[in-house]
Amino acid sequence: MSLVRDLTNGIYRENPVFKLALGMCPFLAVTTSVENAIGMGAAATFVLICSNFLVSLFRNLIPSKVRIPCYIVIIATFVTLVDMVMNAYLPDLHRSLGIFIPLIVVNCIILGRAEGFANRHPVLNSLADAVGMGVGFTLAMIILASFRELLGNGTWLNINVLGPSYQNQPLLIAILAPGAFILLGFILGFFNILEKRRGGGGQ
Amino acid sequence: MAEMLKLGLVLMLVALAAAVALGLVNSRTAPIIAEQKEMEKQNAMRMVAGSLSPGDSLAFDSLAVRGLPNPYASADNVLEVVKVYSPPDTSRVGYLFIAYGKGYSSTIQTMVAVDTSGEVSGSTILYQQETPGLGANVEDPSKLIHSFSGMEARGILLSKDGGGIDAMTGCTITSRAVTNSVREGLEAMEEAGLFHRGPDVPASDVDTTTEVEEQHPCDSEEGSVDAGTPDVTEGGAE
Repeated sequence: MSLVRDLTNGIYRENPVFKLALGMCPFLAVTTSVENAIGMGAAATFVLICSNFLVSLFRNLIPSKVRIPCYIVIIATFVTLVDMVMNAYLPDLHRSLGIFIPLIVVNCIILGRAEGFANRHPVLNSLADAVGMGVGFTLAMIILASFRELLGNGTWLNINVLGPSYQNQPLLIAILAPGAFILLGFILGFFNILEKRRGGGGQ
Repeated sequence: MAEMLKLGLVLMLVALAAAVALGLVNSRTAPIIAEQKEMEKQNAMRMVAGSLSPGDSLAFDSLAVRGLPNPYASADNVLEVVKVYSPPDTSRVGYLFIAYGKGYSSTIQTMVAVDTSGEVSGSTILYQQETPGLGANVEDPSKLIHSFSGMEARGILLSKDGGGIDAMTGCTITSRAVTNSVREGLEAMEEAGLFHRGPDVPASDVDTTTEVEEQHPCDSEEGSVDAGTPDVTEGGAE
């Protein structure tokens, strides 16, 4: 049914990063290593699922005039919960994600899905949408982080791939902010070519 | 009017539910977080002190040395130094201290173990929020901090500043912050007369200040943002 469609929507068709261009701030900031990308993706997905669930559940109770402040409170609460729980039980991950956790509050994917999907769809569909969008966001981050970590540090998920001779003179720019923009440009270009090919084939 | 009340009430209920949830989770996690911080520090102390006197069980005693900035202590310019000794024998085997250096995007805390002659025997990074993949590599025990071992204060200076320590490629600011903070700590201890050069000096020396410090600087968790130039200058060869 449409549930499957809602689920897969975020992964490719409406990928939050590559298609909707949402959540660029955390996307560019934390993709210096695959480990960070996975951690950030998991945290954002968790918050997205919880906020979509609650927003969808109370969509008829929350007056539309105060819906935005309500969403912000809901999202901020879950982010703080994630922050505290992660700090207590996963201190290493918390150390490396640092300031990016509070930034989930202003991650426009989450507010965007609350406003654009969850507040006018049933709970199950909203959950499916949240999972799809979360997975799409995480996959997108892993793709960019793979390039950046491999080129900029010679490793992938902390496993040494390119050897010490490369690590002494790595392509440092890949791990710095400009490298993130450049690589993102290439990836977006690649997806656009793919889209064009596909569109051309169908006609 | 009635609508306004209703809107306010809804907002209040949402906020109230959020506050209750946060309070509950906080009361659960806060002690675990505090415990973890303390344990992390204890582990670092044991690990670093182990390089002074491997095999022995060690005990620690706090003392304070004046003359060094500690951004987290309320008292001004006090370097916290911990005396290390192996229990039955109260003669000291060395000292531990935490050096604070302002890096590229955080104040880096380095725990350093130094023997009674002023030679560094080991060090570890306690806290840093440097650029992941670049400055954050100072945590790697085989890189920068490894080269401190066996050095005295005057040798601990980046090679581009005229010393013998090679900076990590691409993060001169981070390397310099750690290196300089460690050296300054050692110099302050030397000035306080904690080191002696001769091999046969008894443990009869008296400390200038031997007050027990209660506050642990590690408890405050704050990375100040440094608006410096990007640390992308090429470092020395490795």
